[in-house]
Amino acid sequence: MNNAYLPFKAAITGVMPQTASDYTYRLATDLDVRPGQFMEVSIPGVGEAPISVSDFGSGWIEMTIRNVGRLTGVIHELKPGGHFFIRGPYGHGFPLEEFTGRDLIIAAGGTGLAPVKSILSRHCSGQGRLKSLTLLAGFKTPSDMLFKDEISAWREKIDVQITVDKIDENSSPWDGSTGLITGLITKVPVQNPGNTRVIIVGPPVMMKFSALEFLKRDIARENIWVSFERKMCCGLGKCGHCKIDDTYVCLEGPVFNYTRAEELID
Amino acid sequence: MLDINTKKLIKNAYRVTKDRGFTALRVRVPGGSLDVRYFDIIKRIAEEYGSGRVHITTRQGFEIPGIPMVKIAEINEIMAPLLAGMESAIGVEINDLNGGYPAAGTRNVSACIGNSVCPFANFNTTELARKIEKVIYPNDFHVKIAVTGCPNDCIKAHMQDIGVIGMVLPEYDPDRCIGCEACMKNCRKVASGALSMVNYKVKRDHQRCLGCGECILKCPASAWTRGDRYYRLVIMGRTGKKNPRIARTFMEWVGEDAVLKVIANMYAYIDKYIDRTLPKEHVGYIVDRTGLPVFCREVLLDVDTGSMGKVAGFIPFGGYVYERSSY
Amino acid sequence: MGVYIKNNSFDQLLTELSRDYIITAPVKLPGKGAFSDTPLVTYREIRGAGEIEFNEKSRFSPKEIIYPITQTLFYFTENEYSRPAVPDQGIIIFCRACDVHAFRRLDEIFLRNGGCEDIYFAELRKKVKFFVMECRESFENCFCVSMGTNRLEDYDVMLRVSGDAQECDARGDFAGIFTGYGEAVEMIPRFVEENHTKVTVPENIDRQVFKHPLWEEYSSRCIACGHCTVSCPTCTCFTMQDIFYEDNPKCGERRRVWASCMIDGFTSMVGGHGFRNEKGDRMRFKVMHKIYDFRKRFGYNMCVGCGRCDDVCPEYISFANCINRVNTIASGVSAHE
Repeated sequence: MNNAYLPFKAAITGVMPQTASDYTYRLATDLDVRPGQFMEVSIPGVGEAPISVSDFGSGWIEMTIRNVGRLTGVIHELKPGGHFFIRGPYGHGFPLEEFTGRDLIIAAGGTGLAPVKSILSRHCSGQGRLKSLTLLAGFKTPSDMLFKDEISAWREKIDVQITVDKIDENSSPWDGSTGLITGLITKVPVQNPGNTRVIIVGPPVMMKFSALEFLKRDIARENIWVSFERKMCCGLGKCGHCKIDDTYVCLEGPVFNYTRAEELID
Repeated sequence: MLDINTKKLIKNAYRVTKDRGFTALRVRVPGGSLDVRYFDIIKRIAEEYGSGRVHITTRQGFEIPGIPMVKIAEINEIMAPLLAGMESAIGVEINDLNGGYPAAGTRNVSACIGNSVCPFANFNTTELARKIEKVIYPNDFHVKIAVTGCPNDCIKAHMQDIGVIGMVLPEYDPDRCIGCEACMKNCRKVASGALSMVNYKVKRDHQRCLGCGECILKCPASAWTRGDRYYRLVIMGRTGKKNPRIARTFMEWVGEDAVLKVIANMYAYIDKYIDRTLPKEHVGYIVDRTGLPVFCREVLLDVDTGSMGKVAGFIPFGGYVYERSSY
Repeated sequence: MGVYIKNNSFDQLLTELSRDYIITAPVKLPGKGAFSDTPLVTYREIRGAGEIEFNEKSRFSPKEIIYPITQTLFYFTENEYSRPAVPDQGIIIFCRACDVHAFRRLDEIFLRNGGCEDIYFAELRKKVKFFVMECRESFENCFCVSMGTNRLEDYDVMLRVSGDAQECDARGDFAGIFTGYGEAVEMIPRFVEENHTKVTVPENIDRQVFKHPLWEEYSSRCIACGHCTVSCPTCTCFTMQDIFYEDNPKCGERRRVWASCMIDGFTSMVGGHGFRNEKGDRMRFKVMHKIYDFRKRFGYNMCVGCGRCDDVCPEYISFANCINRVNTIASGVSAHE
């Protein structure tokens, strides 16, 4: 009998600091992953947690991990040549086929940029089949900005708009906009609402108000997708932590169409 | 022409009151638990001989005031069933049931309601109060004892010469623990902070544990259950004009036999050391004179404190004296 | 196969069975209740028939026998990890009809949900044989009849206390074994057909009910202690815990421990964000799972009506009454539509 809880060792081939507390880890693995899926990441004796895959390619995956607790604190000590344990991937990712030939707008708040990074990098390297792609991203401060190098590269190919909540004294120089991401949504060009598809990923409050703004921009509910973050201990539909109504976020999510997501009352 | 021996009257549990010729009878209720049928006797005495009222004493007895001293013999006969049911029935030796209470110096053994009703109580306080009554009564030495079910000490055992506080040794099965931390958080808030989490399971610091049993009550999974029952003895608490103070712990994690033996020994100690030149000497003040080491030596004679038992080596009694010059 | 077995013979029968089975049953432990001088009725491995408590409902359900409160998934050392051994013997569980129905709910989650079998549950589950103790009459707070769990077709042995004997209906391999210890009788199982407590589970529950002020009352009454979920025979949630041993920090284990949606932290993620901070919302979440969303997903209600949640709630919150209140509100909502 297969033991679904059994993790396997994955070697770290690269560690790319994004901010003081967010590091991207590249792991050597042949896993077949879709954008928006997640892994259960663990270090025996320390803990296990769900982490979304931020990018992947042939023979590798990347996860961007914020140092917020015991497990991620230990992971942040790890260097290339080290390893941690993973199992997965779990959940349904983004329905890429729905986006073919569409104008896709991605609204990402903070670490919410990680789960959609692979869509951005694929499109910007000419692999996607989107008509157009726009990125709206919000961070707390300029220092919290993820994927700075990638964003510079993306700017060459697509419309990228970044906003920060505030500029504090420790911030790197900032000439972008300040304010909530909803401010960007009210102004983002929407050429053809019927052909536009939207992905929103971020904290619950950000996703809620961003969705309402997109609705005001005449984007249909069924053309919006969101990705949920919940406590999960298994990724297998057993532990019960991520259940909302009859929906298991680990099984049916974490990506939901907005028509379903707005029905889910925690 | 009243010619009353007040010494005898007092030992008979009556008292000299401010109304000349009138007395008040003090009814003992060991453990504070009384079958309501005895209300009939109390009611009859109060209505037929007294003022029609009773006073409920701090020691959980009844005081029936307004009784003519000349009626004492008559009332003592009426009291016979109460003495039989409340004293003889629990093993107290009373030679003449028609003669009223044979002694009054040793006060009623009071008790909180205990585990017959209270969820916090670690034992049946009434039963232990009655066992103590059997050991110490009748006796004229001025001693106050109370029994309480848990360290909440609702009976104010800390105001007594001997206060008995119920304890339980909590037993922990880590495999049953769901790590909800309810016990730990509660212990920190309402008890002694004896619990901490190590590797998601609970560690109990026995030095800090009060044996109150709160962890057992809070546990949803019965990971904490009741182990053996123990007692803590606090001693020499007192009110009064001379150096009032709260009782301090003398021994803890001891069994019922040790409690009863220490109490019995204390009476022998009083008998040996009391200042008989005084009309009466309260036990606390005897200990002040002899010093605690003498008290300890005498009361611990032949006491088995058991493998868990701890006895205080030193007691920093506090309290205060009325030092008027300090104003 | 009906067999009438005297108690002393029944004891010998259990001795024979204990060669091949771990035998578990509700037992009454004096002085182990939370309140002093009260007993605890709970599950234990037993050695003799005399230990079995036939007359009282157990505080905890038998689910802990195959889904332990704390279960080690892996032991690990510096270079390798291993799984705890699984016992060779079968497992006999003395329980009630509702408890057997509850195991079916556990099966739904652990064996089927998400399309993968939980190996730890599955390996023990297939060892289980149900020895079902007939309920002569409903216990306090039971509402099995309302939940349709009073009757039971699927058992290995049905037992009826009959004076100083057991009347048994033994099936499968047990039929032959039981016959050797008593005389043949006709034994047709009888089930409780009425409970004092009755509930009506609403067919459809509108989202309006989720937002109804009813739940606010529970925010002030519930203390989030988790007694209801720990005693529930159908609650399945767990949390992972990784530890290093204190005395050997190079070795440790990954284990799972029962979790409760009523207790603080159930939804908390590292970083601090959580959901259902109000206790009333937790009550709603639990009630809906037991009588609504499990049914939406699997076709039948999760709650088996054993009433243990009502038995153990220190705040006297009645789950059964809550179901009826939800029903009243739900029918009111649909009537307005």
